[in-house]
Amino acid sequence: MAESPITTHDPKNEGQGQGPVQASPQQNKEMEKNFAQMKRKMSMEEIGLKIKHKIMVLSGKGGVGKSTVSTGLALSLAQQGLKVGILDIDITGPNVPKMMGLDGHKLHVEGGRIHPAKGHLGVKVISMAFLLDDPDTPVVWRGPIKLGAIQQFIGDVEWGNLDYLIIDFPPGTSDEPLTVSQSLPNIDGMVIVTTPQAVALLDSRKSITFAASLKVPVLGVVENMSGYTINGVTAANTSVEIAGPGGKTIKSTSDENGNFSVTLDIFKKGGGKSTAEDFGVPFLGALPFDPGFVRGGDDGVHKIVSDPEGASSIAFSAIVKAVQAQISDKPSSSLEII
Amino acid sequence: MEQQMPKLVRIERRESDLHLTYDDEQELTVSYHDLRHACPCAHCSPLRNEDETSLKLRSQVESFKLHKPSVNPVGHYALNFIWENGCSNGIFRFERIWDLANRRDPDGGKPYVHGAW
Ligand SMILES: Nc1ncnc2c1ncn2[C@@H]1O[C@H](COP(=O)(O)OP(=O)(O)OP(=O)(O)O)[C@@H](O)[C@H]1O
Ligand SMILES: [Mg+2]
Repeated sequence: MAESPITTHDPKNEGQGQGPVQASPQQNKEMEKNFAQMKRKMSMEEIGLKIKHKIMVLSGKGGVGKSTVSTGLALSLAQQGLKVGILDIDITGPNVPKMMGLDGHKLHVEGGRIHPAKGHLGVKVISMAFLLDDPDTPVVWRGPIKLGAIQQFIGDVEWGNLDYLIIDFPPGTSDEPLTVSQSLPNIDGMVIVTTPQAVALLDSRKSITFAASLKVPVLGVVENMSGYTINGVTAANTSVEIAGPGGKTIKSTSDENGNFSVTLDIFKKGGGKSTAEDFGVPFLGALPFDPGFVRGGDDGVHKIVSDPEGASSIAFSAIVKAVQAQISDKPSSSLEII
Repeated sequence: MEQQMPKLVRIERRESDLHLTYDDEQELTVSYHDLRHACPCAHCSPLRNEDETSLKLRSQVESFKLHKPSVNPVGHYALNFIWENGCSNGIFRFERIWDLANRRDPDGGKPYVHGAW
């Protein structure tokens, strides 16, 4: 008797010969689902190999600048000539497309695969926003649908070969980081974004212990909105004096076009650094509060694109260097374990 | 001034402790009981805030059968120890291991604080 991989109990076929029988539509659907799931799993493994480095960007509190840091890291890496992608997993407030000049972009699906959009500096972007009709109305997705969408976004995207994939999350220690860390093999680690205020710091401490429970290394802490950068214009090559907090005078000199910028420390600085030290994770650097960081409202051009030599770009490239120093291409250090 | 931490170059897993060799040729030990009692994960850390729960944690880790853990490097800054039972979540930064090896409180006497999540 020929062994059929499928056995059915269709009363109509009862006693009518022994040949393979047609699967019911229900069974077909089940098989298709299993097949799609298997394909997705294989594809996740393949994606794991084609993307050299994967970095998660998290914070405890919302609005501390995760997306600004994610896009900044991606752009700064792209500036080095690396192939970079960014995955925006924030379903309730995806704002990466705006920052990458891709506002209003819709999901591009071809041959059953999702194709990323290309933003500034050729960075490939996939955002939950591409699924939403109006990105400004937050959609409340039910847990399983949301997590399914994330797995799909990991398994079904045609990233091609990438040097870096940056993953931007919604705030807090919710299910998303867990789903991603379980689906995507070999995540290099996470970058935790915080602001100098104590509440955000406490929350970032929680993210660090959360990282330990995910078994994903912490690459380090970035302190955002640390100090306030004032940009101004005056006559070319003149010195400028600004009255800063605490009666301190801050001096700067304008360039040949008359542009100058100074950074004032308005919050107590260094909270990110001491959090990092307390938990023994690296401190990656500080970014000043810069009103023009992401040119709001209009075309969403990131400072790194519009002003590649500016203070923000320099601050970002220092952070990127610190991140890269944490990621080893070689297996491990010279530690011998016996 | 706090002494600069030397680089850990060798770990030997022995019956009941780690034998550590640093690049300045210091050889130190950390017992598995001390190591496990000092787990920095979010579950174990708050237990050390109060003497009573800390002692409970201590007697729990001492009740486990002694065995050699597997050791996984985490980034360039820490190690993770995997045990057959109990908690294996803690990521131990090298500074923490150094403190333990020098018989210092690795939490520096500070209580663990949960964020208002
Ligand atoms: N260093 C900075 N200087 C000035 N503005 C900043 C800075 N960092 C972030 N912002 C602004 O703060 C707002 C919040 O930043 P962002 O969207 O990056 O935060 P987020 O943590 O991703 O927020 P969410 O939790 O909603 O995802 C944005 O309008 C952004 O342009
Ligand atoms: Mg965001």
